[in-house]
Amino acid sequence: MINVALVMLSLAACAFMYRLLRGPTLPDRVIALDGLLATIVIGAILAAASSAAPLLLSTVLVVAVAGFVGTSALARFIERRGG
Amino acid sequence: MEYVSGVCYVLGAAFVLLGAIGVLRFGDFMSRTHAATKAPTLGLILVALGTAIDLHTLLAVLTMVLVVLAQLFTTPVGTHMVARAAHGELDIDLDGDDELARDKLLWAAEAEADAAGESSTRE
Repeated sequence: MINVALVMLSLAACAFMYRLLRGPTLPDRVIALDGLLATIVIGAILAAASSAAPLLLSTVLVVAVAGFVGTSALARFIERRGG
Repeated sequence: MEYVSGVCYVLGAAFVLLGAIGVLRFGDFMSRTHAATKAPTLGLILVALGTAIDLHTLLAVLTMVLVVLAQLFTTPVGTHMVARAAHGELDIDLDGDDELARDKLLWAAEAEADAAGESSTRE
């Protein structure tokens, strides 16, 4: 079951990656990066569940919080750069 | 219990995949925001639930609760900041009046009035 979920997450990551690379505007890229990071968090949770490595679970928490810092910094950048 | 957590994993991953397809296929920025934010959050909740059931240790359950809480608090705030920043940058179709643009004009006028009032009291 975990393998099926991991394949679906890989496809989702590909879709987010396409939008991140091609996205016509900078806000599109930021939103895609946010989604990609959520996908990475979920993938790390699944990896921790499949190998029963509790250390990965703490990593997941750090990635989730660091992602918010990055998104808000990019949002401030867009607001300051644009009008 | 194995089957319960397995169903949670697959359902959660399916929600993330649906959100990603939405980001890929939707035509304008606000629709993509809608797809990119809500579906992966529900996917994360389901996968965290499955992991908590699967591992059933105190550390795993507490970490999953913290991750879900962090995601529930930070995703709406971050997305709102990005959407608000994009409002000044992009041409966005609105249903009604552009209330944020109106408020920005109002705030600029208020700031100007404040600055004028301060300089007059200083003189």
